[in-house]
Amino acid sequence: MVAATTSDAVLPNTGGTVLSVLRKPSVLPGFGLTLGFTLTYLSLIVLLPLAALALKAAGLGWSGFWDAVLTPRVLAAFKVSFGLSLAAAAINAVFGFIVAWVLVRYRFPGDRIVDALVDLPFALPTAVAGIALSALYAPNGWIGSLLMEWFGLRVAFTPLGIAIALTFIGLPFVVRTVQPILQDLPPEEEEAAAALGATRWQSFRRVVFPALLPALLTGFALAFARGVGEYGSVIFIAGNIPGLSEILPLLIVIKLEQYDYAGAAAVGVLMLMASFVLLLALNLLQAWMRSRHAR
Amino acid sequence: MAIQVSGITKQFGTFRALDAVDLEVRSGELLALLGPSGSGKTTLLRIMAGLEFADSGSLLLNGEEALSLTPRERQVGFVFQHYALFRHMTVFDNVAFGMKVRPRGQRPTSTEIKRRVMELLELVQLAHFADRYPAQLSGGQRQRVALARALAIEPKVLLLDEPFGALDAKVRKELRRWLRKLHEDIHITSVFVTHDQEEALELADRVVVMSQGRIEQVGSPAEVYDRPASAFVYEFLGQVNRFDCVVADGVARTANGALSIPADGTVRGPAIAYVRPHDLGLSPSAGGPGRVSGIHVVGPDARIEIDLAGLPLEAEMDRERLSALGLRPGDQCAVHIDRARVFPQP
Repeated sequence: MVAATTSDAVLPNTGGTVLSVLRKPSVLPGFGLTLGFTLTYLSLIVLLPLAALALKAAGLGWSGFWDAVLTPRVLAAFKVSFGLSLAAAAINAVFGFIVAWVLVRYRFPGDRIVDALVDLPFALPTAVAGIALSALYAPNGWIGSLLMEWFGLRVAFTPLGIAIALTFIGLPFVVRTVQPILQDLPPEEEEAAAALGATRWQSFRRVVFPALLPALLTGFALAFARGVGEYGSVIFIAGNIPGLSEILPLLIVIKLEQYDYAGAAAVGVLMLMASFVLLLALNLLQAWMRSRHAR
Repeated sequence: MAIQVSGITKQFGTFRALDAVDLEVRSGELLALLGPSGSGKTTLLRIMAGLEFADSGSLLLNGEEALSLTPRERQVGFVFQHYALFRHMTVFDNVAFGMKVRPRGQRPTSTEIKRRVMELLELVQLAHFADRYPAQLSGGQRQRVALARALAIEPKVLLLDEPFGALDAKVRKELRRWLRKLHEDIHITSVFVTHDQEEALELADRVVVMSQGRIEQVGSPAEVYDRPASAFVYEFLGQVNRFDCVVADGVARTANGALSIPADGTVRGPAIAYVRPHDLGLSPSAGGPGRVSGIHVVGPDARIEIDLAGLPLEAEMDRERLSALGLRPGDQCAVHIDRARVFPQP
């Protein structure tokens, strides 16, 4: 009996490798191969460039890094980039949700065309989108002139313009993440809510929406991440006034043009850290929500 | 509360799911809607709940026209085949849902809700699972939560759509007994849909047999089993041997003359005769017309396959009787029919 237990205890180590410790018995083949491939691939495609970036910024030293980053101009651009990306992602979360809802729940003439339209911001070169938007929203453009006349509102060449551009390019992310989940939502849960006496609104708020929330968060996170990194569409409509409507990616380009490579890398690392923290937080929030009702 | 269904018709495209159905559900009874898939039983149940809309006809709930009422106004409890529990809510919140969504004036206080929910969870024997999520429960437990949730709104009628359909055989049987007992305790008017004849016969006060959007027969389990109103009902309820035959002078004869069955006087000409396997008697006889082609023993019962001059038959008896007869595969035997029903050829 004693002998048996000892040999049992020794067994897991007979493999000798780290993998065999991580590995649980499974009929799915290729764990080692696919994990190895994934790690190599991610290292080459994602980690290596990021590491190079960090390395470049590290050339400045700890205090040099903070000196490069904690300037009023960088901080202002940071606020513009992150603040407006969050705002645009929030706008997209609301209206993208409605678009997804309409596309899934109702059949109407031309619904396929609307569905295809949603993807256009993906396909359009962002510079084209930026030029089109600034032409529309410029004080002499179709929409810009009306807004100016009615509300005295200036959109192009202000932060508001940036928000519009980021909303434009972020829309597909929310629609395309919410849509499939909404499609697969079993109608029985809503029927059950109705039979239990819930109004349409109550069944939406208490039954449908919580089921869609994780997907909505994913869409929000993707739209946000896209917004932070967006360059092409923004620079045309932003006006790029330092401290007011200048975004971080533009600031990086400006630093590059001034041959300040380390400074550009430092701003890049700052963006990277902030994005990573925010996305990680969103992912953890999602994982927590899913874990509450995952099987 | 009584339910009165009259002339309900429902069409899905070209498919007529319900064809002018009339039905009365008596107050306090447990009624089974039994039929094969596509017979319209679930559609009828969903129309009663207000989850489906009838094309024409009327539905009275307690004497009040209900077709124009929304599900929430009808105050019916509905239990789905696949539970339809709210995945992101705990068992407690699932059961509390119906009370929490009531308009402010009619909503019980939160302590009252808590008391009611725990009482219901006690009733379905799941009180210690209150904080679990549906995904953490077994199928039988989930269906009991669904039942508690439906009862929480104090419904006047309980409608159950294949409530045991997704459960395995043992759990199904337990839950069936338990539901029967629950119904005896609280006596709520209940209608349940099933395609399982055994379930309907065991559980229900009355059984409604449906086929192709129509009601074939309504009656107590014994009535529909012993005196089926149509060939369909006979075939649907339990195992059956079926023969094509011709009736003349009160006797139904099969085409090859191997079998003659006494038929009642109303049927004449081409007909179908039905014999339940347990109404088929066998006796060993070296020169008999039948040959035992196979024997299957299922628990205490034995099923004997007979080849009667090319006509396959199935007989059923208990094992002791079989061993007393001493029949073995390959033996010749005589076949007698204790009881049969003959319906005219449709």
